[in-house]
Amino acid sequence: MSSYRTRMGDGRVVELTEAELRADLEAGTQDAAERGGIPPLNEEELGFLFELFACPYRVVGVEPGHEVVLTDDGSVNALYGAQSSSGTGVPVDRETAIRVYERAMGFDTMELGHADYSFKAVRPIVALEQQAMEGTLQSTIVPMFYGGMPNMALYARPDGPFPNPADLLPEGRIDEAREAQEQAGERVTRDMVFVAAKMAEIGTDGINFDTTASAGDVEFLATLRAVERVALDTDLAIEVGMAAEFVLGMHGEVEYRGTRLAGLYPHEQVTLVAEAGAHVFGPVVNTNTRRSTPWNVARAVTFVKACVEAATIPVHANVGNGVGGVPLTETPPLDMVTRAGVAMVEIARIDGL
Amino acid sequence: MATLTMKEAKQKAIDIVLAIDEEGSAALAQEALDSGLDPVELLQEGFTVGMRRAGELFEAEEMSLPEMIIAADAMLAAFDILEKAIPEGQETESLGTVVIGTIEGDVHDIGKTIVGTLLGVSGFDVHDLGRDVAISEFVRVVKETGANLVGSSALMTTTMVGQQKLEDALAEAGLRDKVKTMVGGAAATQHWADKIGADVYAESATEAVQRAKEAASA
Repeated sequence: MSSYRTRMGDGRVVELTEAELRADLEAGTQDAAERGGIPPLNEEELGFLFELFACPYRVVGVEPGHEVVLTDDGSVNALYGAQSSSGTGVPVDRETAIRVYERAMGFDTMELGHADYSFKAVRPIVALEQQAMEGTLQSTIVPMFYGGMPNMALYARPDGPFPNPADLLPEGRIDEAREAQEQAGERVTRDMVFVAAKMAEIGTDGINFDTTASAGDVEFLATLRAVERVALDTDLAIEVGMAAEFVLGMHGEVEYRGTRLAGLYPHEQVTLVAEAGAHVFGPVVNTNTRRSTPWNVARAVTFVKACVEAATIPVHANVGNGVGGVPLTETPPLDMVTRAGVAMVEIARIDGL
Repeated sequence: MATLTMKEAKQKAIDIVLAIDEEGSAALAQEALDSGLDPVELLQEGFTVGMRRAGELFEAEEMSLPEMIIAADAMLAAFDILEKAIPEGQETESLGTVVIGTIEGDVHDIGKTIVGTLLGVSGFDVHDLGRDVAISEFVRVVKETGANLVGSSALMTTTMVGQQKLEDALAEAGLRDKVKTMVGGAAATQHWADKIGADVYAESATEAVQRAKEAASA
């Protein structure tokens, strides 16, 4: 009986029989369909995925003419970041790394971001970041985004001024936890809008609100409000990338334009992000390390396909370490990264990666 | 007034926990006692079942974290009343003592807090050390409490190495044979748990509770 070499969600190599591979693809799409209340992949799409994972070649690619935009986020950490931080530890500064991405790797847009990658941390040093952006804009051709995370947890004690919901919730102090999050959310919006305005001043092409909703539904609300303001006040292209596949209900009751934010999946998130005024959406689907990559890719593609179908703005899926079907490892393996990318393009019909 | 049957009481207990009705929970507990029902059976097959389903709803993103915590409070409100009525010798035994915290250098503790909450309402005595916890503090509290399970969470690849250090520190303190170790967090995997010699890995909060129960009874 023939078997196919693939990987588990934690990157380990595993051999699957044809029946196992087909069963994993079926189970992955069904899991997404049940959780998201969306259609599963059809037989033809599952057949495509089977051929993709049965293909013996290590690296795969899309059909000529199907290429999509390559958008970077997380700044250029993957190149210059330490290996223990999921980077490759190449000893270059970030401006040089950006030029390597543009000129050697063929990226279509690039992002500059602070090593801390949080808007709160950038606020007091924004002049330095403006200076770095000015230099980068003059030495690159591709559109330049400035990127960072809302990272609302930094606004809670001991790192910030507001009570920490993670302390209050276990004590049953629900109302206080909710109020603290609402207060922190206002500060998050303020810092995001401030940094975006400063970047707009010097001619930056876009702003990327990345890893959004990592602290839950209030952080997502804070981001949507920041998008509204930035769209109103600047000409920046606005990209919103998510932190996880669903919005965690840390508050549970906040709404945006009548929609409860807790529990929203990508196809629901994108609608609100577009309504707020963003121009690009980056959905995230988390990888289950206990399941195979075929299971994870089928699941991720099912979610993202529904997201693309619901979207009125371009969708640039997150396909990287532990998201988009890619295994969670220190350095994601190319065999599975390329398969996830191909599946996103050919089945989910994304606009960019 | 009609007397409450055990079957009715169990169903009501499940419904009340899922409806996150703290006052209703206490009232039901009292009504059950007034009707002469067995408090242990009602706790184990009514309120605890409701809380387990609440955990499942949370995993399915159909219940928010505050709602799950209020549900836990609702269950505990009933527990406080029913516990006092349990005859001597029939008290529900603790499933074990768990020390839990997020590894030093890591401040991500939402997941760890959820696991701690679910372990607590499932019958474990939980000592939640919070976030950014020094390895020496884990060891100290394990020693002090005589814990039979210690859980550490790491969200980042840069901090997950602390879970290996905890294994080493427990061994150095002569505690490793006395305590089971459990690892979790976004960066942890079953492969990582196997690699460092941790006893338990779980992908989700409800699975963590199940695996903790298995480890505690092994």
